[in-house]
Amino acid sequence: MSTSLLAYALIGGILYGIFFALVGVGLNLIFGVMRMINLAHGQFVLLGGYGAFLLVQHLHLNPIFGIPLAVAGAIVVGIPLYFAVVPRLQASRDPEMLSFILFFGIAQMLDAVLTMIFGANQRSLPETALGGGNIGVLGQQFPDSWWVGAAASLLAIGGLYLYFTRTRLGFATRAIMANREEALATGIDVERVSAIAFITGLALAGIAGVFVPYLLGSISPDIGNELTTTSFAVIIIGSLGNPLGTIVGGLVFGIGTMYMQTFFPSWSNLVPYALLVIIVLIRPSGLLGKAVRVT
Amino acid sequence: MRRFRLKWPVLAIFLVAASLIGTSLVHTARAATAPSQIKIGTLYASSGTFAVASQGQYQGLKYWAAGVNKTGGIFVKAYGKKIPVKIIAYDDQSNTSTATTLYNQLITQDKVDVLVADFGSVLTSVAIPLAEEHHMLLVDPTGSGANFFTKKTDYLADVSIPASTVWPIPLAQFILQQKIKRVAVIYDSNDFDASQAETLKSVLAKGGVTPVYYNGVPTTESNYAVLLHTIAAQRPEAVLEFGYAPNDIAFLRDLASSGLHFNMTFTIFPGQLLALLTKNVGAKALAYTYTYPTPPLVRHDVVNLGDNTAQFVKNFTAAMHQAPNFLDAAGYNTGLIVQDMIARAPAFTQLDFHQALMNMSGKTTTVLGDFKINENGAQLGELLPVAQLIPQGQGVKIVVVYPPGKGTGKPIYPAPQH
Repeated sequence: MSTSLLAYALIGGILYGIFFALVGVGLNLIFGVMRMINLAHGQFVLLGGYGAFLLVQHLHLNPIFGIPLAVAGAIVVGIPLYFAVVPRLQASRDPEMLSFILFFGIAQMLDAVLTMIFGANQRSLPETALGGGNIGVLGQQFPDSWWVGAAASLLAIGGLYLYFTRTRLGFATRAIMANREEALATGIDVERVSAIAFITGLALAGIAGVFVPYLLGSISPDIGNELTTTSFAVIIIGSLGNPLGTIVGGLVFGIGTMYMQTFFPSWSNLVPYALLVIIVLIRPSGLLGKAVRVT
Repeated sequence: MRRFRLKWPVLAIFLVAASLIGTSLVHTARAATAPSQIKIGTLYASSGTFAVASQGQYQGLKYWAAGVNKTGGIFVKAYGKKIPVKIIAYDDQSNTSTATTLYNQLITQDKVDVLVADFGSVLTSVAIPLAEEHHMLLVDPTGSGANFFTKKTDYLADVSIPASTVWPIPLAQFILQQKIKRVAVIYDSNDFDASQAETLKSVLAKGGVTPVYYNGVPTTESNYAVLLHTIAAQRPEAVLEFGYAPNDIAFLRDLASSGLHFNMTFTIFPGQLLALLTKNVGAKALAYTYTYPTPPLVRHDVVNLGDNTAQFVKNFTAAMHQAPNFLDAAGYNTGLIVQDMIARAPAFTQLDFHQALMNMSGKTTTVLGDFKINENGAQLGELLPVAQLIPQGQGVKIVVVYPPGKGTGKPIYPAPQH
């Protein structure tokens, strides 16, 4: 096996992993703030992809404009969804389990709606819209779309980092993630901050969706659940409840997948789940999580 | 003892009366037992991996049913009359667990007369043991996995697509004819694709060619960038990818954006869903790719059952307001075969249906070509030729390049870089 192939798999894995960090980070943010598992996360990723598809197909715009559309869509969909669902769930005895069931229902509904609107066919975006050429690093060429996807992911996650570390809302969000009751006791408007975190999580999912047709070949309504399960694996590998740990989870997943494709391609889809099992057994809080004392 | 003797006129009257009563009784019995509808049970997928292909097949079957019902139904030999057909269909969402439950429901609750499998090997695989268990003939339109046809059976008949073990035979022969020595094979790890890869490998081996790359990938694979570079490192002349339509789309898009070039590239689904592949991959990325062309992309002008290709395309387009693809033709063909099977079966039993199919084998030609099944239920009638997609205007056209007798043009090999 040549060093060139190993380098190709490494760089490909880093780009792929950074993209999957973006795919997963919204799920992690929502879980971190609200302790709710958004099982419709993959379907929200798809909504972003279909938004970009509509922009290209009907308005002949560049799919990059799908990013502001995803943010706008997250606000329009997220606010009513949050206030219709989340306060009731938080008031229930077991919000985690109920959210699991409720968002599963939403996922099924979105699947059905997407199929009704777009059909079951695969949809793609033009490669040339994001450059159409290749960019080489250390002699390894990757399509422009991969680099643009990774750059957009880094920008989005970087923006989230700045939000957490430089803004009052970000501090409040972190306080809620650390302890919801204490945050409430200190006068933080938990409801408002949670709503913003929920919308941000959906927006990040939608932004990731814009690049799904480039990194995964196409979008179709049936891949939503797979995106959710992969995201779930990525955030557990990184650290469940710690959005910035997702980038580590994404990198481990991406590099692992690409090396498996190089050496044992038949087994490559086991990577996220095998890593998940290993991490849960060895370090249940994830690679960037705080150590857990077993009593 | 006194012998009782009938005089001949009395005997004649008795025989005529008996015969009339007998005929009347048979008719009464037939009328009493003849169903008001022939129930054809099937599944389709409205979502999931196989949705596009499954819905095409289902649409073709519905098109056939609507056509025969307009003429009063299908002729049922066992009852000596025409009876309308009714399709009972459930949505399995491309999920094998759901499909298992629904096949069971069709057999045990709906008590369908004819059981037709959903599209493809994955969704057909779960129906085969159920059909066997319930002694029900499974009419299998497009499930062609090699493992299905390993033993003699009365309960399975592959009707619309050759068994996947025979698909790559002309392709392998073409590769040998072109004197291509370095072949890379990447296939999905499912029965449909893996069995094709296996057959190809064995035919190539007989010609002295061992693949320089031969690996399976998960059926859900959607990213081929690193795989393509691993393949390119083996310096193959031909790269053959066996997958389903979503795999083909991802593979061809990644190949086009990778900057890599191979003298020959082959994928399966451009030959079945050309419009879908062109829309997603683009004509430029499809140019010079090889595929198995299927009807209506290849034509069968002389048929003895149903419409020929031209008639089918015209009638289907008029009825459904869209041009048919291979899966539509496969669904339509399934209906035709069922229709002829029931018209020939002397009794309305599953074993008689199977025997009728065996009797039709080798004597029937439809829109999909020759119908010929073996005792294991495998379809061996029409081998799929090899075609190349040649740029034409803004699109591509199908040029059959092998076997020579069916060729409509010569292959452009090596494929030019574009």
